[in-house]
Amino acid sequence: MLSDPGTGSGGAFTRRRFFEQLAAVGGVSLAMAGMDALGFGFASAATLPPSLPGGAKGTRIIILGAGLAGLTAAYELGKAGYQVQVLEARGVAGGRVETARKGFVDTDLMGNRQECDFDDGQYINVGPWRIPYHHQSTLHYVRKFGVQLELFNNDNDAAYVYFEKGKGPLAGKPIRKGQIAADARGYTAELMAKVASKGDLDAVLSPADRQTFIAYLVNEGRLQRSDLSYKGTDGRGFDIAPGAGVSPGAGKETTPFAFADVLNSKAWSVLNSVAGWEQQRTMLEPVGGMDMIPRGFVKNIPEGVIQYKALVDRIQQNAKGVKVSYTDASGKKAEVAGDYMICTIPLSVLKNIKMDVSKPFLEAMSSVAYAPVNKIGLQMKTRFWEEKHWIYGGHIYNDIPGIGTISLPSTGWHSQKGVLLGYYSFGGEAAKISALSPDERAKFAVAQGQRIFPEYTENFEKAFSKSWHLDPHNLGGWAEWSDESRKAAYPVLCEPDGRIYLSGEHLSHLTGWQAGAIESAWQQIAKLHQRVQQA
Amino acid sequence: MKRSVRRAATAAALWVALSPVAMAAETGQSLYNDNCAACHQRSGLGIKGAFPTLIGGKMVTGPLPALIPTVLNGRGGMPAFKSDLTDAQMALVLSYIRSSWGNKASAITTVQVTQARIKASAAAKPKNLQAH
Repeated sequence: MLSDPGTGSGGAFTRRRFFEQLAAVGGVSLAMAGMDALGFGFASAATLPPSLPGGAKGTRIIILGAGLAGLTAAYELGKAGYQVQVLEARGVAGGRVETARKGFVDTDLMGNRQECDFDDGQYINVGPWRIPYHHQSTLHYVRKFGVQLELFNNDNDAAYVYFEKGKGPLAGKPIRKGQIAADARGYTAELMAKVASKGDLDAVLSPADRQTFIAYLVNEGRLQRSDLSYKGTDGRGFDIAPGAGVSPGAGKETTPFAFADVLNSKAWSVLNSVAGWEQQRTMLEPVGGMDMIPRGFVKNIPEGVIQYKALVDRIQQNAKGVKVSYTDASGKKAEVAGDYMICTIPLSVLKNIKMDVSKPFLEAMSSVAYAPVNKIGLQMKTRFWEEKHWIYGGHIYNDIPGIGTISLPSTGWHSQKGVLLGYYSFGGEAAKISALSPDERAKFAVAQGQRIFPEYTENFEKAFSKSWHLDPHNLGGWAEWSDESRKAAYPVLCEPDGRIYLSGEHLSHLTGWQAGAIESAWQQIAKLHQRVQQA
Repeated sequence: MKRSVRRAATAAALWVALSPVAMAAETGQSLYNDNCAACHQRSGLGIKGAFPTLIGGKMVTGPLPALIPTVLNGRGGMPAFKSDLTDAQMALVLSYIRSSWGNKASAITTVQVTQARIKASAAAKPKNLQAH
């Protein structure tokens, strides 16, 4: 493809050849993109609910739980003509799709009662908070119910990275992600380009490929074309920003960090060639809070179908049907019977409810772990991250134990106040912080954030924290399958036990995502419907 | 200036109080309080209907086969600690649990945890920056 296959002229490029080579690379990469789109599995993604033709034959379905799996099942089965009854433990639908705003109350298993006291219009999504663009199942309902969307900034080069466990002058300093990316990749590209131009990679590169490879590295690392060195680049920012007239005029670019300092800082932990499939840069969020999605469902499910504040005590089944004993909102014992059941109660909670299923099924249910997960919303009286630091959304990655990620809101730009996510942590770190009282959790979060933003403490007004493992209706943030239980237990639970079908994020490979709950429900109702048709 | 110094000092004090790294000596008890007590309570009694008691019972004080893999990989809603605790830390905390609140079971050694980890294929995984 290249006319001049490198005749040993090393790194000497003519301008024309450089652009020819870029075009050649562009051609290849475009072709690759086309192939990727085919090979990536877009076509195989579950993007639409199953069609359920042929009538429901008067079949009664009991659905346990009005989270996204239960709501999806109730909505689709109801539309297909089934008689549906949903029992929900909480006073509202949505399950883990909780948005804390003024008046929202949470009482955890320790007896910590919090009533959210954020200003009107302020909120924090304590459950799911972002929708990858390829979660078309979630977006199907967002579209259908007219839920308004806005962009969620999942990757902001201007946001700080703060790693204190590294070494050298950059450790324990907030640094903009773009600076780390520019330098780490720039220096790496320089090394590779110089090695390649000496012919040291000729064992794997043909002469033509060598030149193309170098052209790619110059482009990727923003190298000097003359000597293939990395000397910084405008994208990492300016000491004097360019502007009008002769002063500031062209301004003055920042000087890159030393390569060794970048390496020692460990801040490169935030860099990947491309975002992971679940962490794509383009994410979406409903305007006003994630609970706009369950609200959309509820508006489209007939009144009375969902019974709130119903706590399940016992689940029975025999060859003819299913029966659920529960305690209703007034504390009275009640029963409801049906032909089949879709049970979306998290397995962490379900294990404490007596249930007529086979021993292998019970054993499989008990083999899954659930993640301790913490979040805290901190209402700040000014949006200092926008005003003072020019950070519009995105995450402050750090290695402070117990903090995980700090995130800045992708909504309410330039308004007076904002609620930022003060910590988002999992596992043992989350367990530790959750043992504190809500006030102590807030103090901890504010003290740690202060290490990154000097304005943190003086702007802090109110907090609302959530620990999912301490929520009696969830006992964990999401299911975590070990490799072993994924192999042995998961397939067992994906099939019904008698007349009981389990469903939820835990029965998907999209655990912890709303799409996992929705697509699991789609799969189970399709199976159930087929069975009813064949009966 | 002075105010910010004091604020930083307060932050540092709280930090030290919460950081396992800063602790003089890690004990089974300190590890238990940090990693387990949020659910199983400092008393070991757990919370009825949610988190089981650690006092008595075959799982905790019985012969070893079930206990170590449970803490490594999680089970029945309990989280996996394979990536949070080292083998030595796990031995310390399990020995503490097996000898506290009236429990009188044998101590667990680091080697036993290491062996169980291999058997349960529960190698520690590097932590992701993001989850969901």
